[in-house]
Amino acid sequence: MLCTCSGQQFQLEENEMPQSPESLATRDFSVSGLSSKTGDWDSKFDDSQVDDVESTLKETLSLNYEEARALLGRLEYQRGNCDAALQVFQGIDIRGLRPRMIKAIAERTQHRKNRPKGENLQVNLMSMHSVSLLLEAIFLKSKSLEQLGRHKDAALECKNILDIIESAWPDGMPEGVRGESKLKEMFHKALELLPKLWKQAGFLEEAISAYRRALVRHWSLDLKRWASLQKDLATVLLYGGAEVPLPQQFQQVWGHMTPTSNIEEAILLLLILMRKVAFQEINWDAEIMDHLIYALSLSGQFELLAGHVEQVLPGIYSRGERWYLLALCYSAAGLDDVALNILKKGLGHSERKHKPHLPSLLLGAKLCYKNPYHACEGTNFAMKAIEFTNNQEKHLRGVASHLLGVYYGYCAQSSISDSQRLRLQSESLKSLHHAATIEKDDPEVIYSLGRENAIQRNLNTAVESAIKYLDMVGGSSVSGWKLLALVVSAEQNFKDAEAIVDLAIDETGKVDHLDFLRLKALLQVAQEQPRNAIDTYRILLAMIQAQKELKSWSTSSEGKAVKDLEMEAWVDLSFIYTKLESWNDSYVCLEKAKSVEIFSPKCWHATGMLLEAQSLHVDALVAFSVALSIEPDYVPSMVSIAAVLRMFGGKSLSLARSFLMNALRLEPTNHNAWLNLGYISKAEGSLHQAADCFQAAYELRQSSPVQNFTQTLSNCHI
Amino acid sequence: MSSEVVPSESTTFWQSIQRAQATIHSLSLILGPLPEPLTFSENPTISLLHDANISHDISSRLHHPNSGSGDDNLCRWLYDTFQSTDPGLQLVVLNFLPTIIRVYLSRVVSQKSLAGFEAILLAFYAHETVIRGGEPLTVILPNLTNPSVYHEAKVPTKSKAVDLNIAILSPALEPCGTVRSTKRARIIGVALELYYSKIHDMPLTSKQEFCEFCVDWAGHNRSLEEEKQSNPNSDVSCADQQEEMIQVKGGEEEHKKKGRRIPLPWELFQPILRIVGHCLLGNSNSEELKEVALIAVQCLHLRALHDMNPQAILASRSLLRLAKMPSDTIFKPHLVSDSSDLTASQLASND
Repeated sequence: MLCTCSGQQFQLEENEMPQSPESLATRDFSVSGLSSKTGDWDSKFDDSQVDDVESTLKETLSLNYEEARALLGRLEYQRGNCDAALQVFQGIDIRGLRPRMIKAIAERTQHRKNRPKGENLQVNLMSMHSVSLLLEAIFLKSKSLEQLGRHKDAALECKNILDIIESAWPDGMPEGVRGESKLKEMFHKALELLPKLWKQAGFLEEAISAYRRALVRHWSLDLKRWASLQKDLATVLLYGGAEVPLPQQFQQVWGHMTPTSNIEEAILLLLILMRKVAFQEINWDAEIMDHLIYALSLSGQFELLAGHVEQVLPGIYSRGERWYLLALCYSAAGLDDVALNILKKGLGHSERKHKPHLPSLLLGAKLCYKNPYHACEGTNFAMKAIEFTNNQEKHLRGVASHLLGVYYGYCAQSSISDSQRLRLQSESLKSLHHAATIEKDDPEVIYSLGRENAIQRNLNTAVESAIKYLDMVGGSSVSGWKLLALVVSAEQNFKDAEAIVDLAIDETGKVDHLDFLRLKALLQVAQEQPRNAIDTYRILLAMIQAQKELKSWSTSSEGKAVKDLEMEAWVDLSFIYTKLESWNDSYVCLEKAKSVEIFSPKCWHATGMLLEAQSLHVDALVAFSVALSIEPDYVPSMVSIAAVLRMFGGKSLSLARSFLMNALRLEPTNHNAWLNLGYISKAEGSLHQAADCFQAAYELRQSSPVQNFTQTLSNCHI
Repeated sequence: MSSEVVPSESTTFWQSIQRAQATIHSLSLILGPLPEPLTFSENPTISLLHDANISHDISSRLHHPNSGSGDDNLCRWLYDTFQSTDPGLQLVVLNFLPTIIRVYLSRVVSQKSLAGFEAILLAFYAHETVIRGGEPLTVILPNLTNPSVYHEAKVPTKSKAVDLNIAILSPALEPCGTVRSTKRARIIGVALELYYSKIHDMPLTSKQEFCEFCVDWAGHNRSLEEEKQSNPNSDVSCADQQEEMIQVKGGEEEHKKKGRRIPLPWELFQPILRIVGHCLLGNSNSEELKEVALIAVQCLHLRALHDMNPQAILASRSLLRLAKMPSDTIFKPHLVSDSSDLTASQLASND
C-alpha cells in the first residue's frame, strides 16, 4: 500500500517541485517505472520554487549521501527486505540533521507567506523535497523496526518525526501550507503510527500522550482520520486501566473545560464524535455509540444517554431494538413509567408482525413490578414472555415464572371473591415453585416463595425459605432479615424474633438500623415490655434526629421513608401510653406525630384509639372517619369504627357489619375484624356463625406477625 | 543540592530493597525455602510479583479448606505486606485479590471464621478510603457548548459558565471496622476498584483468573452453553468459533472446584465489568486473556438479563457488541458505508 502511495505522491509533487538533475530522486522514478511528466511546469514557476531549486542545487553535494540512503532504503523496504532497509536507514544521521530539517520546514513555510518577493532564503537551507525524503526515511525505518517486532525502537524512531514537525510548527500546521503534500502525508501517517506502536510495545502512557499530541493541535488531518484517532484515544482511556492525567500545559490553556480524569476525557471525546455523527461529518459508527453507552452506564448518566439514542437516525437500529434501548435507559434513570410506555409501543399493535423481543417482555414485566397497580399488566407481560421462551432461553423462562408468581400474589390481594383469591394464591405458589426448579441457584426466587408463603400464613415453609435465602445471600439482604424476623414473630415466638432482629442490626449498615429498631420495639410491645419498647423508641428517634441533622440520606425517597418512620414511631409510642392509660403522654406523642405528617391516617387512627380508650366514643368515631377520609381503604380504622358502632348496638350493628365485611375484603387475615364480626353475630343471635368467626379470629391471631407482611416486606430485587 | 538529593534517593531505594527482602524472607518462613534468584534479584518486588511458582503456591494455600481464619499466617503476611505502604509490595498483595475474593465469597455461607480474609479486604477498603478522603469518585460531564482541549465551541460562550453536570462513578466511602453482611458487596467492590486502578501492572494470570471467576459468580455458564448449542445466532450468543472453546472450558471446569453464583448488586457488578472490560478491550496482546474475558462478559450479560438490571444490561451489552465488531470501522473510508450497513442489517436480523 505504501509503495503505491508514495508513487502517487511523487507524481503529484513532481508538477510543483522540480528536482535537480543530479538528485537521486529522478533515478528513483525510473526505477519505480514512473515517467517524469516534465510538461508544463515552467508555467507554474514562482520564486519559492526557484528558491527550492536553488537551495537544492546548492546543497546537492552535501545531501546526496542522505538522499541516496533514503531512496535506497525505500527500495529495500518496498521489496520487503526490512533488515536491509534498516541497515541502509541506520546510516542516516537523523540526530545531526534534525536542526536543519526543523529550520528548513519553519523557514520555508513561514517565508512563503510573509517573505517579500525577491528576498532570498538563507543559504544552506534544506529543500522541502529533501526534508520530505528524510522524513519518509525515518517513517520507513520505524515501519521496518515495527515489522521486525522491535516496537519500542520503532516508536522512538517515529517520535522523531513528530518532534521535528512540532518544533518547526509549534502552533500546529500553519494556514496555507500547500505543496508539501508528501511531507504532510508522512507526518499524518506518523501521527497515526506512533500511538499504535506504543500500544504494541505495551507503553500505555506514551500511547496516550501520542494520541493527545496528535489531537490537541490542529494538524489538518482529514475528518475521518481525525475521528478515528479520537475514537482510538477514547478507547485507550476507557479500557487502558491506567490513569494518565492530562499534562499541565493543556490544562492551563483551556481553563475550566479540562477533563480531570481519563473516563471524563473519554466521554468528552465520544460526545464530540457523536456530534460529528449528528452533523454527518463522519459516518455512523456503531462502536462510538457502544463505547458511549458503556461509559455513561458506568457513570449512571442515563437520561443523557437516552437523548443520544433518540438522536440516532432511523434505519440504524430496528424499531424494536431502539425501543428496548430507550426503555433500558429510562428505567435505569428511574423513569419507570416512561420506560413502560415505550416498551408497550415496542410490543404493541404496530409490531405484531415481528416475534416479540423477549428481553423487552421481561423488562416490561419487571417495570410493572414496582407498582402494584400495574399487577395486571405485569401478569400479561410475564405470561407472554413465558409463551415466547423456547428451550434455549430456559433461564429466562425461570425469570418470567418468578415474576408471574409474584403478580399472581399481588392480584390475589386485591381480588374480590374468596374463590378467586384462593385460586390466584395457589397459582402464585405454583409459578414460584416452577421458577425455583428452573432457577436453583437464584436466591431471589426463594425469597419470593418465602414472602408469598408468609402472606398465605404457611409459616413453617416461610421460615425455611427465609433461612435458606439468608444463607444463599450470606446474610447480605435486609429484606431477608425482616422476612425471617416477621415470620418468627407470626409464630408468636417473639423472643427469637427479637434475637433475630438484634443479629440483623449487627449485620446491617446504619441506614437499615432504623427499620430494625422499630421492629424490635414492636416485638418488645408484643412481649409486654413497654419500658424496653419505650427505650428502643427513644434510641430510634434520637438516630432519626441525628440523620435529619446530617441529612445523610441520598435520595428524596429515602428522606421520605425516614420521615414516615419518625411519624410511625411517635404513633407507636402513643399506643403504648394509651395502653398504660397515660393519656397526656399519649397526646404529646400524637402531637409530635402530627407535626411530622398531619395527613396520615395512622395519626388519626391513633387519636381515635386514644379517645376510645377514654370512652369518648363519638369523638373517637370522628377521628376514625378523618383517617378514612384521608385513605378510604385504611383497614384498622374500619375495624375500629365497627367496634365503636357495635357498642352502640341496635341499628348500628348492620352498619358495623358492613364496615367489617369491607375490611375483610381488603385484608382477609385481619383477626380483629373477625373478632368483631363474631361479637356482632353473637349479638344478632347467630351463635354458630359467631363461633366460626371467633375460631377464625383466634387462628389468625396465632399466626399474625407484629407488622403487616405485605406493607413491610419489599419485593425481591430482581 | 543534587549531591544531597542523590544519596537520599538511593537510601530510599535501598530501604525498599531491604523491605522487599525482609518480606520475601518472612514469606519463606510460611512457604518454605524460595528459589535463590528471587532472594538475590535486583528488583525483588517485581520478581515476586511475576514469579509464577510462588503465585501458584500462594493461591493453592489460599484455596486450602482451613485458610482465611484469623490466625492464618499467609493472610497475616498478605495483610502486613499491604500495610508496608510500599507500592510495589502492595501490588504483590493485590495480585491475589481475585483469589481471596473467590475463596472468601464461597465460604461466606459457612459459619467458619474468615477474619484473615476480612482483614485484608478491609485493609484495601481503608486504603482506598484514605486515598479518596472518603469522597465519591465523580465525573464532570462535558458540555459541548464550552470549548475544550479537543474541540472548539461553534457558538461563542456566554460569560456565564454553563452548569456542570456531575456524575457519580463510585459513591462516598464511610469507614468500616468490620465486614457487615450488607456492606460486604460494597467493601469488595471498593477493593476491586483499587485493583482496577492498578490493573495495568497486574500479571496476566491474575487477570485471567479473575475473568474465570466471574463466570462462576455470574452463574450462567451452563445456560450459555445450552443457548449456544441450539441457537448460535441469538442476540446474546457470540461468534461461532467461541462455541467449541466454551465446551472445552466447561469440561475443564468440572475438574476444578466450582465457585458459587453470588448476588451481584451494581456496586459489585460495576467494578467487575470495568476489570473485564479492560481485559477484553484494553490493549492486551494476549489472545487467551481476551477469550476468557469474552466468556466472562457473555456470562455477565446473561446474568444482567436475568436480574433485569437495566444499568448492567446496557453496560455489558455494549461490551459484548464491541467485542464482536471488526476493529476500526471509521478509518477505512470506502468500507465505512458497507460496515455500517452490515451492522444495521445484523441488528435487524438479530432482533
